[in-house]
Amino acid sequence: MAALSGSELASRFVSKALEMGFSDVAVLVEDVSRVMVKFANSQPSVVQRWDISVASLYLSKNKRLYTGSVVLDRLRDLDKLLHEISYVVDRVSESELYAPLPEPGKKAGGFSFVDTRVVESMKDPSRLAELVLEASAREHKVDFTAGKVDLWLRRKHLATSTGALLEEESTGVEVYVRSFKEDGSGQWGFSSRSLDEKKIEETALKASELAHESRGRSPVEPGVYDVILSPLVFSQLLNVVAWMSTGLSVLTGTSIFADKRPGEQVASPLLTVWDAPRDEKLPHSTGFDDEALETYNKPIIEKGVLKNILHNSKTAAKLNAKPTGNAGWVSPRAWNLVVEGGDYKFDELVSEVKRGVFITNNWYTRLQNYVEGVFSTIARDAIFLVESGRIVKPLERLRIADKLPNILKNVAGLTRDTYDIMWWEVRIPTRAPYALIRNVNITKHFV
Amino acid sequence: MEDLLQKAIAEASSMGATYVEARYHKNDYFTLRARNGNLIDSSREVEEGVGVRVLVDGSLGFASTSTLSNEGILEAVRRAVATAKRLSGLMKSPLRLGPGRTGRVKYEVPVVKSFENTPLDEKIGLFRELWSRGREVVKEASLKVMFNEYVESIEEKVILTSEGAYVRSTIPRLYFGYNMVISHPQKGVVQRWREFGGSGGFELVEKWRVVGTIVEEAGTLARVLLEARAPPSEPVEVLVGSEIVGLMAHESAGHPSEADRILGREAAQAGMSFIKKGMRGFKVGNENATVVDDPTIPGSYGFFLYDDEGVSARPKYLYREGEVYEHLHNRFTAAEYNTESNGSARAMNYASEPIIRMSNTYVTPGDYTFEELIEDIEYGVYIKSYMEWNIDDERWSQRYVGLEAYLIEKGELKGFVRNPVLELTTKTFYSSIVAKSKDLRFYAGTCGKGEPSQGVPVWFGGPDVKLSKIRLGVAPG
Repeated sequence: MAALSGSELASRFVSKALEMGFSDVAVLVEDVSRVMVKFANSQPSVVQRWDISVASLYLSKNKRLYTGSVVLDRLRDLDKLLHEISYVVDRVSESELYAPLPEPGKKAGGFSFVDTRVVESMKDPSRLAELVLEASAREHKVDFTAGKVDLWLRRKHLATSTGALLEEESTGVEVYVRSFKEDGSGQWGFSSRSLDEKKIEETALKASELAHESRGRSPVEPGVYDVILSPLVFSQLLNVVAWMSTGLSVLTGTSIFADKRPGEQVASPLLTVWDAPRDEKLPHSTGFDDEALETYNKPIIEKGVLKNILHNSKTAAKLNAKPTGNAGWVSPRAWNLVVEGGDYKFDELVSEVKRGVFITNNWYTRLQNYVEGVFSTIARDAIFLVESGRIVKPLERLRIADKLPNILKNVAGLTRDTYDIMWWEVRIPTRAPYALIRNVNITKHFV
Repeated sequence: MEDLLQKAIAEASSMGATYVEARYHKNDYFTLRARNGNLIDSSREVEEGVGVRVLVDGSLGFASTSTLSNEGILEAVRRAVATAKRLSGLMKSPLRLGPGRTGRVKYEVPVVKSFENTPLDEKIGLFRELWSRGREVVKEASLKVMFNEYVESIEEKVILTSEGAYVRSTIPRLYFGYNMVISHPQKGVVQRWREFGGSGGFELVEKWRVVGTIVEEAGTLARVLLEARAPPSEPVEVLVGSEIVGLMAHESAGHPSEADRILGREAAQAGMSFIKKGMRGFKVGNENATVVDDPTIPGSYGFFLYDDEGVSARPKYLYREGEVYEHLHNRFTAAEYNTESNGSARAMNYASEPIIRMSNTYVTPGDYTFEELIEDIEYGVYIKSYMEWNIDDERWSQRYVGLEAYLIEKGELKGFVRNPVLELTTKTFYSSIVAKSKDLRFYAGTCGKGEPSQGVPVWFGGPDVKLSKIRLGVAPG
């Protein structure tokens, strides 16, 4: 007998679990083929290849919840697995977040997109790695370059006790590059569902340009500055905000929206941020969520107003709202973020600043207090002083230490051009512009 | 499984690999999560598969598979070798393998109270007790949210290398994390996220005094919210609590001592190091600045006896009496340093390549009691715990914001201060230590590094440390 496919195994599991008395069952099977070339010191440091099939499980009985994940092969031993799960579920207490799985939407279905060029490049990624290394050294002769080229093909199959049997297939690309020249460094990133060699080349060129321009750094005094954030930095901070916009974050006290309601002004009227699972270019696009609900694009913040908390059926029931196609069986999530661009060209944005700082990259955002959004993050790589509307010189590292609500409210300008960003610190693919934020608290070490 | 791993090694070697490492790796996690005393869900995650790493023509390849058949593993081997070969043409400086004392050994961590023989209700009961007792002690303010996560895990590995290493290990671990939000209509919010972790069984819950510790802390933090004042603005003596000292050891001694980071391998991700090659002996602090990384501490969260290249683990002095002393090495960095690996390579799971990681990193203790440390402080601040922290990617400029913190006047604790900020350089911290307590305490954490990012369990620790006068900042309020 031929081995059962992921979909068949998932369906068989759902049927058997229902027979055994579970009321809600879902199985998400993901087959991932992925190749990553990681490079450092202007050469590959390792090439990694994954071929992995994993089944994620959701079951409930008498309002008791179980989630799990096993390698797909374990799903073949159906009886053993279900008896192990029953043993646990029969002994735990009811979940305060239980809600029945919702009926799948009429249009719930695949949003497949496979770029065959991605699949071909996975067989031999050396050409793309060479392109990055060559482009990095092309114009500014950097000292060395690091980064990665990451390519994947992902198939997901979802079977649920509400009758859904869905499949989707997609490709993705993530490239980021960090280049170094003397005491300068620069970083840029790009992500997509398809291969775009020109964008990859531009990513490498941008990193080397920033490294070149940020040589000869000067210190700057701490204080309150107008700050221009690059799309990398703005994306990173909005990734934190997006995570805070989920129902589970609200319920577990890790959100600046814990005491807010949709309709409240939480940001500058210039700021609109979408959760965009239906965007055709960003790599985490999907047609259905883990509960088999159809996904749809929706604003999290629209013209500064909180519009949507992201929900699965459980957090929605608990907070008296509707599911938003963002399951996660227990934890909802944003799929992709799209920040609407503004009216400015980059040079015009800079011309709005009398004395300020332009930050091109950041990392290590940590919070003192999630409810009030007290945080700091470190600027890294190229940072510049802006005076009288001009970029005047590169700066040494510094921190933004402020409150997230202040950052959101003080957005004073956005560029028309936006960039599709993903890198180590930006895990939700984000399309973002450059942003001017007024009155940001900047610190550095005292001694 | 050993047979399959041997076949993998033979296949890769026949295809031209000069080094092969095959690892069967299984992580079995059981998780319970609760909010305000009520269970949210139970969860079991089993990661199981084989990871194979090969060195071919100076190029390093890694492949992993969740298909545990002969063909599945051999296919992973063929892909690892083929892709490494294709990239070898881009190697300007081919990778080499240095020496390391590899072992042929089996070991496992003993358990006093096994997870499977501990009733689920005893575990779930922890959540209920924490919520009810926490609410009782927080009176004028209110305990708004208590989120808990309980994770028991068992990690099993079988590692074989083409050079004859054989290591089979089983390490059970327990983790307990919580997030607590205490609020007051006028005073705002204080919040605490904290983790406990160790290797062993359910007996660790009692050892950690989970309920008593958290409930006591809830009462104290409610007072911080209601009573705390701004920290002094002039330079003062600062007593840094062992929890923050441990984090500093991890961030500003452990990370910059990772040889792969020093050599630039993590440059685009976890960053670089202020330590450059050839800087052994660099003066980073005074004679009190000694930091050790030791994976062999029994019961520790970062425990292992052999690393994932099959090399024997041992304690390492990262900083010794103020000087950069020894780095964390795997076999590849050992070759660059013309030394031998000290057994610091770890992989998070079967789908991860082994990279250089810390284990249990700590500042060595001194010989003072806590009372002796503060008795001659005329005016100062004691920072016991923290929430916010970060450090730049070369591990030089760092910031820690205190949560539970006290004013010290004439040798006594005199009320709370709110959000004092210690923002200083690595050299300033290690050069400013004037005294250390004799109490060495450890704290659990999950350390992130690598691409894809790998989180591995670690302890960080230290004594309470007294610093000479220093200026504190204050977090935005």
